[in-house]
Amino acid sequence: MFSFLDFLNQEPFRFIVGLAGVLFLTLNLSAILVMSERKTAGYIQLRYGPNRVGPRGLFQPLADILKLFTKENLSPARADLWIFLAAPIAMFIPVAIVWMTVPFTERSVIADMNIALLFFVAITSIGALGVIMAGYGSRSTFSLLGALRGAAQMISYEVPLILSLLGVIMITGSLSLVDVVNGQSGGFWHWYVWPQLPMFLIFYMSAIAEAKRVPFDLPEGESEIVGGYMVEYSGMTWGLIQASEFAGMGLMSGIVATVFLGGWQPPLPFMDLGVFNWFWFGMKAAIIMFTFQWIRWSVPRLRMDQLMDFGWKVLVPGALIWLFVTAAWMAIF
Amino acid sequence: MIVAYIFLACMTLICALGVVLSRNIVHSALFMSGAFLGVAGFFVMLNAPALAAFQLLIYVGAVTVLMLFGIMFTQRPSARSFATILNRQVWAGLAVALGFGAVLSYFLTVQDWGSVSPGNGPRQMQTFGENLLGVGGGPQIFALLFQVAAVLLFVAIVAAIVISRRRDADQEEA
Repeated sequence: MFSFLDFLNQEPFRFIVGLAGVLFLTLNLSAILVMSERKTAGYIQLRYGPNRVGPRGLFQPLADILKLFTKENLSPARADLWIFLAAPIAMFIPVAIVWMTVPFTERSVIADMNIALLFFVAITSIGALGVIMAGYGSRSTFSLLGALRGAAQMISYEVPLILSLLGVIMITGSLSLVDVVNGQSGGFWHWYVWPQLPMFLIFYMSAIAEAKRVPFDLPEGESEIVGGYMVEYSGMTWGLIQASEFAGMGLMSGIVATVFLGGWQPPLPFMDLGVFNWFWFGMKAAIIMFTFQWIRWSVPRLRMDQLMDFGWKVLVPGALIWLFVTAAWMAIF
Repeated sequence: MIVAYIFLACMTLICALGVVLSRNIVHSALFMSGAFLGVAGFFVMLNAPALAAFQLLIYVGAVTVLMLFGIMFTQRPSARSFATILNRQVWAGLAVALGFGAVLSYFLTVQDWGSVSPGNGPRQMQTFGENLLGVGGGPQIFALLFQVAAVLLFVAIVAAIVISRRRDADQEEA
């Protein structure tokens, strides 16, 4: 048994098994997040949410997926069919492959790159391409408007997203996520969220904007442009776009938990679970995901100019100021 | 390794041909991002993941998106006919491409690579950054180039702000 595990631990097989595991995790994560989103919405709005399929509605994702698979996959008659069909894939794959660099415990990371944070930033910047493809390929005015909004928003909020990671990179002196987490060992007071609290808030808000969630969901804006770049999609292509959005939200939670909240490190030193430390990573990521949903059902949507002003006039200068504070602190002490 | 190389080479070449041959200019831009992805794959294969990440970040994430924005804001993307694609510049283009390829092949074959294998050399991000800032013992010219690039970007940012600024006072006077 162990010899077989050792055989699987060799390089090509380890990568293939890890890739399959990550794809499985990403797809299931988005299915479960759809259900938890609806449940959270229900409880916040004083109703039950889905509660018919299975105990307390827990099997709802299964029913949703079956329903999506049986629906017809329509496309507009004048659509640019190749781009239209490639867009959901171009949105999903980047999210899935960034999960490869996220460390679940010290040894369970598929690709332990020494530039993992740079890789994360680079892959995130591709996400705007999928949105533009979806909007252009649909040949619909609403889609194009939504895509232009989405691309503008994602490009703008990429700047504070990158800047807010720089503080942690400066303290750690490494771009590797494993090194970042190892630098936060020894209890919750060593987590980077405390010295980098403004950076944490900036990264958190930029992450919400990158995941295109309320209050930054202008690209979808169902009351004005009836769903934005995904208005023409149906069936499983729509399902794939939704999956990539929810998986992107899960990914941002995972990165927040890894970079600022200590990743797999237990909150108190005696709570060390050894190889089961992924439990702490999962708990932290799940709590961040819940706060994303909490915000979604609590605050109204911003206006487009407010969105841009907030990104460029509040988040970017704030990140720059705290960058200088961090640099000064490191130079003096 | 060979399989990965063949896959990446085919992907890069087919996408590059798609850039010049496709009839829709948006398709050309998207094919170009595919070619850039292929080049990034080559960098990964050569044990230079930092270069691959920069390739993705700058070329796929920024340049292609900027081009798509430019196309969508300026004109309605229209289908061209093959007659306009294969215009009389096709022979000049072929000559330039072949000449460039010949020069590259010449230098690659003439140069004695010895026992150099991909992955050697200062490819750690830390060494790279220190060399770029002129404190790592590398050529000092990199630090100067770094400063020049920073000044250039700063000028570009200021120019963008000046151009896109709302001229409230001017409009009130007019």
